[in-house]
Amino acid sequence: MASTASRTGQGSQPALVGQKTSHYRWKELGLLIIPFMILLLEMFQLILVTNADPQSTLTAKNLPTIQSLIPALGLIAALLGTNIFLSVFYRKADQMLLPLVGLLSGLSVLMSTRLGPDLNPPDPALGSRQLLWVLLGLVICMITIVALRNMAWLERYKYSIALLGVVLVGITLVHSLHANLNSPTHDQLNIGPLNFQPSELLKICIVIFFAAYLSENLNMVARGNLQLGNLRLPPLRQLIPLLLMLMLALIIFLGVRELGLALLIYGIYVCMLYLGSGRITYVLGSLILFIAFGFIGYLLFGYVRARFAVVTTNVVNWNAQSQALYDAPGGSYQVVQGLIALASGGILGAGFGLGHPAGQFFVPVVQSDMIFTALGEEFGLVGLFAIIGIYLFIIYRGYRIAMDATTHFNQLLAAGLTSIFALQTLIIAAGNMNFLPLTGIPLPFLSYGGSSMIGNYIIIGILLRISYNTAREREGLV
Amino acid sequence: MPLQIDVFLLILRLLFIVLLYLFLMQVVIAITRDLRRSKDSTPVPTTLGHLVVIHSGPSAIPPGTSYPLMPRTTIGRGPTNTIQIKDQTVSAEHTHLWYQNGTWYVQDAGSANGTFVNEQPAREPLPAKVGDVIRVGYIRFQIKP
Repeated sequence: MASTASRTGQGSQPALVGQKTSHYRWKELGLLIIPFMILLLEMFQLILVTNADPQSTLTAKNLPTIQSLIPALGLIAALLGTNIFLSVFYRKADQMLLPLVGLLSGLSVLMSTRLGPDLNPPDPALGSRQLLWVLLGLVICMITIVALRNMAWLERYKYSIALLGVVLVGITLVHSLHANLNSPTHDQLNIGPLNFQPSELLKICIVIFFAAYLSENLNMVARGNLQLGNLRLPPLRQLIPLLLMLMLALIIFLGVRELGLALLIYGIYVCMLYLGSGRITYVLGSLILFIAFGFIGYLLFGYVRARFAVVTTNVVNWNAQSQALYDAPGGSYQVVQGLIALASGGILGAGFGLGHPAGQFFVPVVQSDMIFTALGEEFGLVGLFAIIGIYLFIIYRGYRIAMDATTHFNQLLAAGLTSIFALQTLIIAAGNMNFLPLTGIPLPFLSYGGSSMIGNYIIIGILLRISYNTAREREGLV
Repeated sequence: MPLQIDVFLLILRLLFIVLLYLFLMQVVIAITRDLRRSKDSTPVPTTLGHLVVIHSGPSAIPPGTSYPLMPRTTIGRGPTNTIQIKDQTVSAEHTHLWYQNGTWYVQDAGSANGTFVNEQPAREPLPAKVGDVIRVGYIRFQIKP
């Protein structure tokens, strides 16, 4: 992030964002053109598939009407509106994030529209609900950018934000004590017809708290007073707030059996500790601790053993043991169905609307947890590579914004938020493909779900604000 | 010639994949253009001056060591500083130096041992010119062109 070789003057000086003399965000608009075309094309294809008979010929009567393309047109209008809003008020903010995120959100709306009627029981309004969530997410993204005029405000109220996170988790914990721990919705709050997952906001609160705390105490954390042979350990007194927060989050998530969230929180703790201190020994120590705790957990808890048994299922040499695991409740059924869906997709995919991802005997919970397999079945291997590529570009952009940032807090916050985004994508994609135990974490932007969409749009809003502040400060100097 | 719908759908599917990868290529081109522009654009790599150690105090840095000064320079013990000085009397983030409108400004970043320009404490940004002595903790530097 900055040079350590100070004597030679070499090293990674953060690069200039670039002198922008144009009065409009042309680069963003140019990048948005192809996503618009993709969204219109896919909506067109979806309606053609659902309404027309494949053996008949293409006539003007069979073509979809303009009216039926309204969801896609609505999304395009929303993204254009966001582009205009940013050009008027926040011209210097990063121009690449919105097209990437917009394409993913658009694909999620289309996928929800496609999957809704096929689910068991059918839910034809899934697509329109997802569209509402995307629009709401865009609005909240803009509100976040406008509200965070002074990022130092977040830094000053870090303990309140940490407390907010703890309260959110406390509510979830109390709620889950009444609920059945095996149901997939046990960590959600139901307010009327909406499901709200407080864990999405908790992630952001934890990152803000860690970033603020570490940037204030860089002194202490980087020094490392205790010495254990050749290792230098951080002074424990300084790390106590961090460790407390970490322990709290871990105990609660392990208590409600949200292994994915516990893994995510621990991962973000390790990432931010390394980013804040620069010492690899801390990372190694934390990883060793993690493996130790994981081993203890494996020995103690049955549900941990069950999840790992699913991962080691051998799909190729199917034997009686695999079949028993497949048939058992809470066994490998979901994951194996997901793998079958991925395999049916092949390289080019079955085609949007032409595969069978959803339904009673296909992939369970395909619209949120297993959306990756649905995408794999319909868009194929090439489509999955493209989607992973989009995620990689978002992550690159996030780290680039972190590198360019001018204050330590901004750097740590941007890097932390990008890391949590990256970890989340990694964990759920690997879970869908049976590399890691399947967890209930949603795939950012693509899986159906309001809280996930809003939480991720808040992250994008914070990143855009940081990039805007950086560009303003650099221009003010030069 | 009448076009069957399933053939038309095949064309649409291929078109979708082509468009996806065109978009990715467009993003890659934008990224490389951005990187090339920031590499070529001045004034970030230029050195606007040097800080030369004239008195090393309790540290092990030999007098006469010269550090290049960028438009924005930070001095401290931590790894995120432009000039990293691994001495116990220097805080993790000790001093901020920047060049604005033809003058250097020096400000202490909340360090334990303080920053001084010609022995004036730099709690607020203090202007400094070539030849001034800047004391970071107990190490004295002089600004040279």
